[in-house]
Amino acid sequence: MTALARLRVLELAQGVAGEYCGKLISDFSAEVIKIEPPGGSPTRALGPFGQGAGRRETSGLFAYLNTNKASAVLDVETPAGAAALQGLLARIDAVIDDHPPGWLEHIGLAPNTLAQRHPRLVVCSITAYGQPPPEGRDLAEDLNVFHASGWGYHTPSAPDDRRPPLKGPGRFLASYETGLDAALCVVSALYGRGRTGLGGFIDISKQATMVSRIDYVIGQMVAGDMDVTSSRTALDLWGPAAIFACREGYVYLWLSDQAHWAGLRRLIGDPEWMRAFPDRWLEHENTPERVATCRKEIAAWLAAQDRNEVSARAQKLGVQLVPVNDASDLPKSPQYQFRRYFTEVDHPVLGRAQYPTTPYRLSVTPAQITSAAPTLGEHTGAVLAQLAAPSELDR
Amino acid sequence: MSLAGRGGPLAGLRVVELTRVWAGPYAGKQLAFLGAEVIKVESLGSLDASRSYGKTTLAISPGFRAVNPQKLSVQMDMKTDQGRALVLRLLEKTDVVIENLRPGAADRLGVGYEAVKAVNPGVVYVSMSMYGKEGPLSYQTGYAPCFVACGGLTYIVGYENEPPTGMNIRYADSTFGAAAAYAAVVALMHRRRTGIGQFIDVSACETASSMIGDILMDHALNGKVQACDGNRHPEMAPHGVYPCLGGAWISIAAPDDGAWRALAETMDGPRLAGHPHFRSLADRKVHEPELDRLISAWTAAQEAPKLARLLQSRGVPAAKSLDTVDLCSDEALWARGAYRTVSDAWEDSRPIVGPAWRMTGEAAIVRGGPALGEHNAYVLGEILGLSPEEQQRLADSGATR
Repeated sequence: MTALARLRVLELAQGVAGEYCGKLISDFSAEVIKIEPPGGSPTRALGPFGQGAGRRETSGLFAYLNTNKASAVLDVETPAGAAALQGLLARIDAVIDDHPPGWLEHIGLAPNTLAQRHPRLVVCSITAYGQPPPEGRDLAEDLNVFHASGWGYHTPSAPDDRRPPLKGPGRFLASYETGLDAALCVVSALYGRGRTGLGGFIDISKQATMVSRIDYVIGQMVAGDMDVTSSRTALDLWGPAAIFACREGYVYLWLSDQAHWAGLRRLIGDPEWMRAFPDRWLEHENTPERVATCRKEIAAWLAAQDRNEVSARAQKLGVQLVPVNDASDLPKSPQYQFRRYFTEVDHPVLGRAQYPTTPYRLSVTPAQITSAAPTLGEHTGAVLAQLAAPSELDR
Repeated sequence: MSLAGRGGPLAGLRVVELTRVWAGPYAGKQLAFLGAEVIKVESLGSLDASRSYGKTTLAISPGFRAVNPQKLSVQMDMKTDQGRALVLRLLEKTDVVIENLRPGAADRLGVGYEAVKAVNPGVVYVSMSMYGKEGPLSYQTGYAPCFVACGGLTYIVGYENEPPTGMNIRYADSTFGAAAAYAAVVALMHRRRTGIGQFIDVSACETASSMIGDILMDHALNGKVQACDGNRHPEMAPHGVYPCLGGAWISIAAPDDGAWRALAETMDGPRLAGHPHFRSLADRKVHEPELDRLISAWTAAQEAPKLARLLQSRGVPAAKSLDTVDLCSDEALWARGAYRTVSDAWEDSRPIVGPAWRMTGEAAIVRGGPALGEHNAYVLGEILGLSPEEQQRLADSGATR
């Protein structure tokens, strides 16, 4: 039992944002009951699929997002299902949803009636642009949110303006980020309820979450301290920091001050070209010519290095050089192994695999995965048995 | 002056930050936005570099103020014995400590977890570092793009069949802060039930990795190593960013066949919608380069905002790729308080980036980032109970410089 034991959460969400939010909470031992329509959550039909693709219950995405949860099939869009849902609400602490705006009202969970019927309940709604949706922004996939938040237009840094801006890493960045903020809000609201006795409605916008993640820059721009422009480099920093190719794969090198430069000189062996640079050029004499020379020379040197070996040597000299890891590098990382970032989960269909866990280690109440994602409706009977009037559900 | 009485779910909790620049301050900001009293310990001897970055000086601190709204600032020089003793006295009366100093620095300064726990057994102590506090690589340090590279994100961001370009260089500090804030609140929930505090060790690289959990699952299940895939999405086509007039771009995604047909009808009527190359997702994936060329040719002569509205009205998810002018003037963000104005030591009215959420009983957010030492009198006087004479003596000795 870890930190959130004894909390009971109903997950109506069917997208990555809400399911990730639920996972962040269920991995701390809260009881998270996933309510699914008869056809199952749409994430069950999204890849990556494990072996036996095409068979049921092989979505690795679903398996990842729904560890430690229970699954009950209940069609809350029917009158009987909605009634059953109301019965459950009296026995739970929080609801997580990520359907489009208006859906909660549609199933009888309008924010303004919640306070009267279920004053202790916390209901969290995750939507692309918040509730009610701004005019002309009814529909959005994560790609659209990424681009409606400023991250898209400015990715990659130092772009070729003729080529399209990019979507960022993977399919779901905006959803993961917002799921994290949603979990923060849900647990905080439950904490606050301990003092006030009151739950309430939480409205989280994916767009606002992603904009908030650039607060350092956008905060200065919105306050008038930094210029706003239509340039795709408006969020960039100046300097030679970059990705460089090694003998195999890549490294990322950060350089911004005298100490980094001094360390780099020792790392490379202080060749002629480095001695020609002023000691504090990175802070005070950071010209495009010097950046270009620096990058060219470093690229030539790094091309013959091993990325892991050179990174370790650089770090010991105070140089912030790291390998550009791919998905196969992380399970091999001695640091990830030391912290047990990956943990084995045994899934009834997918079998045993090393799942990524959480980035925080709590000394007393660590997050832990004690059960694999549920099969569709695996716990329907048990969940419905908790209801006072199960006969209503027999249909 | 305290900032009590703001409400919010974390009202009544005190957080002390031993943090610099962006990631640690972002964690504290999230908690401040939820109602906690968040105090930054600073000193002239070891300033938060974000107070002095850029063209302006310490007196204005624009970067600092962008990430530290609704916090208090107290000066305590941890490098002096008296200053350190003051910090410990404050930490004794604190619920959460957020630390993101260099590896080992908090312990060397005498404000590590063991030292704080000795005076405050119930404390929730959050340590933030690139790789975690312990382990074979824990000595390593880096800025945000390093977390993103180590964490596996940089490798997959780039154009198809080309070397990686990586995310925008600003990415990852704030996400790292959000993960730390969440872990802190989880530990507070546990403490409320049991009275037991704990140590939380947060890794920036692992935070980044957590943003591609499904990609790591693909490796775990299938041994697949994802490479750069441009704007591709295995379950959607089209899924891309297309040129518009004036150097603008529009993002368009078709989550299903219906959205594709609506887009095709809008572009070219029924002929394109029924074209055999594009009928099903599988068809469109096979012919995706052709599909992208057709869409680009169609979008290139159009204004992005108008086109986004048109596509939305037809049932197609689309959004202009917003530049910083668009972003700062986005009416929806202003309307929901994602931007809002506060007062601070310099200005009566200053816009800030607010929280991503609205909630019943939310905390009032009324004050901007603090000036250095703006709350010395409150922290030293009201929290620590020091007389004005004692405060003056500490100031004269340099302990509160």
